[in-house]
Amino acid sequence: MLHLISNPIGVLALSKREIHRFFSVANQTIFPPLVSSAMFMYIFGVAIGSRIDFSAAGMSYFNFIVPGLMAMHLISSAYENTSSSLFIGRWHNHIQEILLSPLSYIEMVLGLLAGGVARGVTVCLGVWLTSLLFAPSAIAHPIALLYFMLMIAVIFSCAGMMGALWAEDFGMLSMWNIYVIVPLALLGGVFHPMAMLPKPVLIISHFNPMSYLVSGIRYSMTGTCDMPAAVSAAIAFAMAGLFFLATVYLFKIGYKLRT
Amino acid sequence: MRNSDIAISIKHLSKFYKTFQALDKVSFEVKRGDFFAFLGPNGAGKTTTINVLTGLSNYQSGDVRVFGHDVTSEYLRSRRLIGLCAQEFNFDPFLTIYQLLVYQAEYFGIPPWEAKRRANALLERFQLADKRQCKHRALSSGMKKRLLLCRALIHDPEILILDEPTAGCDLELKFLIWDYLAQLNKEGKTIFLTTHYMEEAERLCKTIGIINRGRIVRIGDKKQILQDKSLEDVFLEITGSE
Repeated sequence: MLHLISNPIGVLALSKREIHRFFSVANQTIFPPLVSSAMFMYIFGVAIGSRIDFSAAGMSYFNFIVPGLMAMHLISSAYENTSSSLFIGRWHNHIQEILLSPLSYIEMVLGLLAGGVARGVTVCLGVWLTSLLFAPSAIAHPIALLYFMLMIAVIFSCAGMMGALWAEDFGMLSMWNIYVIVPLALLGGVFHPMAMLPKPVLIISHFNPMSYLVSGIRYSMTGTCDMPAAVSAAIAFAMAGLFFLATVYLFKIGYKLRT
Repeated sequence: MRNSDIAISIKHLSKFYKTFQALDKVSFEVKRGDFFAFLGPNGAGKTTTINVLTGLSNYQSGDVRVFGHDVTSEYLRSRRLIGLCAQEFNFDPFLTIYQLLVYQAEYFGIPPWEAKRRANALLERFQLADKRQCKHRALSSGMKKRLLLCRALIHDPEILILDEPTAGCDLELKFLIWDYLAQLNKEGKTIFLTTHYMEEAERLCKTIGIINRGRIVRIGDKKQILQDKSLEDVFLEITGSE
């Protein structure tokens, strides 16, 4: 990848700008998912979860949902960051600042990606830190957590860019997140173990890629998971590569970027 | 740098928007150091030509080069050589005008310390230094025009492309911009200007190209084109008879 970067200062500048953008509106980008996670943790994890017999899973229900919430907000934050940044860039036409510059299409995608990954990982770790206010929850496999956070953030940052290129208005922009990404993530086991599902639904869940991604984060945090960790890791890697290449291709052909 | 005497070379450029042909086999050259006025009525193809040159538009056929570099296959090289001052105020709303210039310079590979120095110098030159911590929304339209120029010049491009740079400017700002452009051209920058103000083109430019309905209808040295007539008369004569 390094030899494909001919303008490292430019990529770094674009990355800095993307990170600056979401940190400058942290009350809209960082804190809302932490507040909503705290509510989920208190209501489902503490108030209701303490009355659920979850001993078969080898952990409390609270410790079960924390990785799910981390994964869900990682996915949403990464998607929202790149989709809003790129779409607003198209809307105000300041995307031209990048399109006129000597950044290759890979470099443009990498720069925008940096913001999505940084926001996703910040929120994901923020959710974990928030969970410590209610109960201790250690990280079983820190390297695996880093791997899954990066892969998931890349997948949904790229998905966000594709959504931003496709969308013609703000309604279309949020459509993917509301109707596809969040429902699939919720069905992918944010709040429930796969084994709880009826058999036909369980079979369908194996075709839901979110199940593997949520499971990967859960494995990293607790050491146990619904899907084999190696399979989750491989699926995450393949999806990240596929989404990245597809996004670079769209930039290369100038899909809705060039007239 | 190849073909160093020819800054812009366009050969048989055709561009369609779906079925509408915006450019029809457009061909012309702009020499290094020239001050080139690219004139035409609304919808003639001026901005489309600029967009192709800068990589903002795809095109169906033709050969477009900037100092010998193909704008499609060698876009990383050609874009370094061009600064575009667009018609619209398209600034990032999250950044102050100082940050905006520094980032823009860095996108062109200029190190942060040098980017900051250039941003300060340009803001000073265009009397925007006291607004450096403002966002663009807080600026008047004249200030935004100046900011567009600062942004186009931040990487010290060989070619400055100006798409109606003085539209909507008051007289004082118009003269400030004219003086600055004349000075830049004297220092060796190639300037490619589109404007609806014939007086502006007549006063500043050395070479004139007129496009109408996607075709180049006249191109040449200013004296040769004017032949003791005013540019306005020549322009109306050419575009009116098409």
